[in-house]
Amino acid sequence: MRSSSVGWLFLAPTLLILFIFGVVPFLYVLVIGFMQWNSFAANPDMQFVWAENFRRLVFDDQFLYSLWLTLKFAFFAVVSEIILGYFLAQLFMKDFPGKGLFRTIHTLPLVIAPIAVGATWRLLMVPGLGPLPYYMNRWFGYELNISRYIDQAFFTTVVMDIWHWTPLVTLTLLAALSSLPKEPFEQAQIDGANRFQIFWHITLPLLKPAILATVFIRMMDALRTVDEVWMLTGGGPGAATRYIGLHIWRVVFPKTDYGYGSAMSLITLYLTIVMCWMLYAGLVARRDLKRAE
Amino acid sequence: MYHFKGLIASAFAAALLSSTSPALADFWSDAAKGLEGTTIRGISESTPPSNYAKDVLAPAFTKATGIKVEFEATSWDQMYDKAIKDMEANTGIYDFVYIEQDIIYSYLARNFLVDITAALNESPNLKSPDFDVTKFTSFADNFKNEKGDLFGVPMEAFIKVYLYRKDLFEDPKIKEAYKAKYGTDLAPAKDHKEYRQIAEFFTEWGKANGQEVFGTTVQAASGHPASVYEVVESIFPTFGVYNWGIDTKTYGASVANGGRMNSPEAKAALNWWIGNLAYAPPESTSSTWDEVAATFAAGRAAQGLVYGENAAWIATDPNKSTVVGKVGVALPPVQPGVMEQASSGEGYIGYYDGGAFGIPHSSKNKKAALLWLQFIGQDSVQADWALAGARITHKATYDDPKVQEQDKKVDGYYTLMREKGPLFRGAPPFPFHNQVREAIAPFFYQAITGELKPDEALDKAAAAADAELKNLGYRK
Repeated sequence: MRSSSVGWLFLAPTLLILFIFGVVPFLYVLVIGFMQWNSFAANPDMQFVWAENFRRLVFDDQFLYSLWLTLKFAFFAVVSEIILGYFLAQLFMKDFPGKGLFRTIHTLPLVIAPIAVGATWRLLMVPGLGPLPYYMNRWFGYELNISRYIDQAFFTTVVMDIWHWTPLVTLTLLAALSSLPKEPFEQAQIDGANRFQIFWHITLPLLKPAILATVFIRMMDALRTVDEVWMLTGGGPGAATRYIGLHIWRVVFPKTDYGYGSAMSLITLYLTIVMCWMLYAGLVARRDLKRAE
Repeated sequence: MYHFKGLIASAFAAALLSSTSPALADFWSDAAKGLEGTTIRGISESTPPSNYAKDVLAPAFTKATGIKVEFEATSWDQMYDKAIKDMEANTGIYDFVYIEQDIIYSYLARNFLVDITAALNESPNLKSPDFDVTKFTSFADNFKNEKGDLFGVPMEAFIKVYLYRKDLFEDPKIKEAYKAKYGTDLAPAKDHKEYRQIAEFFTEWGKANGQEVFGTTVQAASGHPASVYEVVESIFPTFGVYNWGIDTKTYGASVANGGRMNSPEAKAALNWWIGNLAYAPPESTSSTWDEVAATFAAGRAAQGLVYGENAAWIATDPNKSTVVGKVGVALPPVQPGVMEQASSGEGYIGYYDGGAFGIPHSSKNKKAALLWLQFIGQDSVQADWALAGARITHKATYDDPKVQEQDKKVDGYYTLMREKGPLFRGAPPFPFHNQVREAIAPFFYQAITGELKPDEALDKAAAAADAELKNLGYRK
């Protein structure tokens, strides 16, 4: 009993901070989500409107488009990062000249603030004047203009995300690869398994917890991406890169539609949790259930 | 004898006192007694006039009063974001905020700002003898309430003008080539057809001569409200569509609801503007007001609509501009009949922009901020400020010899502003400025990318504005 009290005492500061900075804002957003509240409306006071904000969301083309766009962005970015990260991790498992330097350079993007990444890419991509559009046009006659062509803008944001976050995946998978036991691999080689069989039946299952954790982290990050894209494209051209975080920001801040923006945030949070749960259920829980049978 | 000596001593003392009594310049140290060491914080958009206030006026104010000024000059988006959040949450981070002419009505509707007239009446010891509201141009009226009380001290005011490359327009060979092609003399465009013709000509001329010169600038950032502003505040009026196409009585935007946002004139305006992109540099679709000025200063456009605050440095600063001495200034091109409407006061031909500094109710250093606002509102600081930022807020500034000298270098920009300023107008008095802009913006962006035809974009924008105004409770 006494030790339990001491334990709670030690936990108290953390719990208090979590409550103040995690639970209270969430409850606040939850309450506001049921209000009509725009401080520049004819009536700037909060009005309880039941679930009206959530009903509006279902018919809001811009919100639904942003959501779809975000899922597409998350899919392309995360899948590419996992594949590329795995190959780079495998590369770093081997010795080659300049490995240390290459690994350091490769990890550098990870330590750059997202807003700085966005600014750097923006300078690179200034239509007509930035080095990339300039040389693409000069060498290949290709018009690269991310402020005009929606597909170019979308894929540039994906490539920027890959450039920024693949090192995280590489480091995570490198740590996981380094800690794998040698015995199963030696055994498989003795039994005559080829490289693909070793990868499919040994490496991948052993790496699965690390891959899954990385996918969760990266997916949640990708779904809430704002700063890099805001800096690079501002959500444009048109609505080509208006991902959900950016869309919510525009509704809440410039438009000051706090109630509706809160409802969007709640739905987005709910969808993120559902997606993570589905991914977990699909990849882990099903296998665990089978084992239990 | 003693009486005589006493008189002499008194006279000497009086002379000494009069020689050391507070002159006008000492008002600041007297008024700031007890406030020395106070720090006031303010936020503004990073523009030439704001940067002058930050770099020159703020240190001078600190020297005169002992009050420190922390001046945050940031991007337009961030400036609004931070200022509004601070005033809404009543946190009191900022003691003065930038109030652009178009947002004042929203701020007044929310009672964010201190009534400067009333505050000075309540504290006469803080009232500077050199601060006189009657000395301001009529632009100050934008920052007054119906009683005539001032809520913001104007710090910048300028018109969005038509800049053109005088050197190119006056080049005999170019003039000859133009006349041979179109049969008319090359001169600053008076209407949209001429403007387009000139844009087309110079784009082709640039290509033919291997020069990166395009026909026009277009402020067409495809993910930034700057493009919406260019259309509704600078292009619509030249086609006779005023107040963004929103009826100021019924607050209807679509033609069906009494507005003109999707009227034939508005559609002609957007079609013309989108069409100009074919003759604009590639960076146009990522250009806000700053990049348009930079494009013109880099010599990449033969003509364009440019915010006047940039006119001075584009025309005179060789460290930033490649077209020093080559800039011509004119009125924007208009449709037939629009100039007459503007002259009679029924309409306007372009945007009269500017801003003021105001004090939020949430400020914790209102007295020090009041002194600062009066400091920047003195006649004596205006001329140099006008040279640095091409802004004029005081009537007398126009007649200052330094300004008149500069006027010659910028092809009469200041004279144009003085004489033709009444043809321009600020944003309409909407308390829902940002909200409607955000509602209609996506459709303008999609028109720029070609996802929507201009006509379709305006139909959708007008419907979105109607819906937003209904949602906000302004339109029944």
